[in-house]
Amino acid sequence: MQKLHYHAQVIWGCMTKEIQTALAERGAAVSQIFRALFFLAIMSYLAIGGGIAPTAVVMNDTGPYARQFYNALANAYSFRLQTASAQEAQNLIEAGKIVAVVTIPADFDTRLQQNQPVQVPVTIDNLNTDFTNDIRRAVPLSITLFYGKAFPQVVTVTPQEHDFYPQDTGYFPYLVVSALVVALMVLGLSTSGESAAREWENGTIKEFLLSPANRFAVVIGKMLGAFLIGLVPLAVLLIVIVAVGVPPLHWGEAIGFSLLTLLIFVAFGNLMGTLLKKRLTTILLAYGAVLPIFAISGPFGPISFQTRITQVIAQLFPPYYAIVLQQHAFHNFTLNTLGLGLNTAILCIYAVGLVVLAALALRRHTAN
Amino acid sequence: MIPFVNAVWAIYRKDLAVWQHNPGILIATIISPLLFFLLLTVEVGAVGLSPVALVTLDTGASGIQMQQIFHQADVFRITDASTEQAQVLLNHLDVAAVITIPADFTARFQAHESSPIVLALNNLNLDFVNDIRRAVPDAITQFYTAQGSASPIKVTMQETDLRHRDVGLLAFMVLPIIVMMLTINGMLTNGTMAASEWETNRIKETLLAPVARSAIIVGKVLAGFTTTFLLGVVVLSFGDLLGWTQPQGIHIVISLLMIALIALFSTGLGVALGAALQRVQPVLIASALLAFGLFMLAGGISVLAFEPAWIQTIAAFSPLTYGVHALEQAVFYSSSDQFVRDVLVMSLSSLVALWLGVLMLQRRIVS
Repeated sequence: MQKLHYHAQVIWGCMTKEIQTALAERGAAVSQIFRALFFLAIMSYLAIGGGIAPTAVVMNDTGPYARQFYNALANAYSFRLQTASAQEAQNLIEAGKIVAVVTIPADFDTRLQQNQPVQVPVTIDNLNTDFTNDIRRAVPLSITLFYGKAFPQVVTVTPQEHDFYPQDTGYFPYLVVSALVVALMVLGLSTSGESAAREWENGTIKEFLLSPANRFAVVIGKMLGAFLIGLVPLAVLLIVIVAVGVPPLHWGEAIGFSLLTLLIFVAFGNLMGTLLKKRLTTILLAYGAVLPIFAISGPFGPISFQTRITQVIAQLFPPYYAIVLQQHAFHNFTLNTLGLGLNTAILCIYAVGLVVLAALALRRHTAN
Repeated sequence: MIPFVNAVWAIYRKDLAVWQHNPGILIATIISPLLFFLLLTVEVGAVGLSPVALVTLDTGASGIQMQQIFHQADVFRITDASTEQAQVLLNHLDVAAVITIPADFTARFQAHESSPIVLALNNLNLDFVNDIRRAVPDAITQFYTAQGSASPIKVTMQETDLRHRDVGLLAFMVLPIIVMMLTINGMLTNGTMAASEWETNRIKETLLAPVARSAIIVGKVLAGFTTTFLLGVVVLSFGDLLGWTQPQGIHIVISLLMIALIALFSTGLGVALGAALQRVQPVLIASALLAFGLFMLAGGISVLAFEPAWIQTIAAFSPLTYGVHALEQAVFYSSSDQFVRDVLVMSLSSLVALWLGVLMLQRRIVS
């Protein structure tokens, strides 16, 4: 009992020392919030464009069929349209403001009325094949949609769609939830990693190592301190996500999984800081690893839609499970077949494992 | 002039020695692009291809033709399946959609009756869902095109590409990754190393020496530039080996020049930040925010034209926008489109960054 009391004192002491040290740095609390929000913003930035190609339509014909074709383009899930003259469109595409120009020829209506072939010139700024192929497929989609409305008896083969979920989820609401995970990664890694590395840089780790305190208690205390520091930025992140119109469907899950994710990366950060012993190297590695690991963890959709090797690699990292759980919390999506319980259990195992590893990494020697 | 050069050289050598004694920093910097390259190599087979199950219930000519078109369309990773198998695949998230060619497809098509292709779609998010929604009508259009002169669809697309070649998405992402690495290394690493000199009071000796403050800044920036530039060359060479970034002829020189200018700009800004803030912690945060911010405003790993107008307007003021543009033109298209503009902007920005560094350098010790 006495021993337990002693360990609790060590944990408490390390935790309060951790918090005091962090807050002693001017603007530390604000900067942590800022950093987390910033990463949330830049990850979500990927979705702002929405994959919709900015396109100019040159309406050389304004007849009923031409206008119907324009509407078909607008409903093809692919274009952000603006009408322009030929010269304006040319200027826009050369300036990089748009990526495609669709020119509806002057005899569009006439030729269709006479059942003659009509070519629609499409100029594409084929910077990369991703959006270029989207445009290449979107134009035939527009043609099919056009015929479905203008000549419903002519084109009889059409897609008949049945959706799994009652409504589509926009790219931004989906990605911002995945971005929450990366923001928590950065928050946990940087808060805890910098703190652990600073102890070694400043030599203050000596006092910990020479004390009779149990290393697990020391590490748990430091992690608890970093975790508590991370709670305010976490709350701000959740508030911001709700404010941009993406409230979680299951609040308890969202908060619980966020806390678990933060804990994991606080532990990971402590481990990194202890092993690397330098703040700069820790931060560089943290920032450098965050984006690739995030990219491979299925932020854009179920990892099962990727290649087999991608699936295997993704399942090695906690962000994959964190994204699965958060997408369920916010949108009630099921992104794998493991179930909530097993996904949560895996994250808990990561958390415990990283705490143990961080404690083992804390050896009784002094840094050079 | 000679004392100035001697001072620059001395500080350059001193700072380079610091780099040499911290190989971990270089390793940590290069890990991100290497991880990305590994990721790109792994993902190469899956980008843009959604996994779908194709159920062909019709054994008639049109049904088989439709099935072949889906297979040849190269827009899906197709698994042929029965209705029950397809449902299992969909429920287990092994496929994003099930496409069913109904049993009476040929009969209905030949009778000019409505002949739907049934699409059961896991509509999790619009990104891949819209890919599938585009791909199915595309296949239908190809089906009609295959009817030749009998096709009722008279409207066809006549495509003209601005660029002489398509660049795969993954290869396209390599250059922004290089720019991101240069920016982070230049600002974060050099800024922190500069700030640590103040924090540990090592700057005292330098500031008290009878050398021009500009020589101090130039020496520091040159040392940081050397390592940052070499990192950029290494990563560009790696991309070349993988067949992604292969500039030709004079454009090799242009590519190296732009990497040098980006390295100079980011290093100059980093050293200025370090000199201004003089403490490692705030520099760590400020330089990361600035580096990522400038990088994302330059378009990040996407295409700037897709972003809202207000972001495009702000991006026009980010020097990296011009650096990325020049690199893309040189590496992918062997083009010098707006080269003079891009070089001017990057050069002026680098000079401004150097000037800021000199301005921030005060001959006093931080308490």
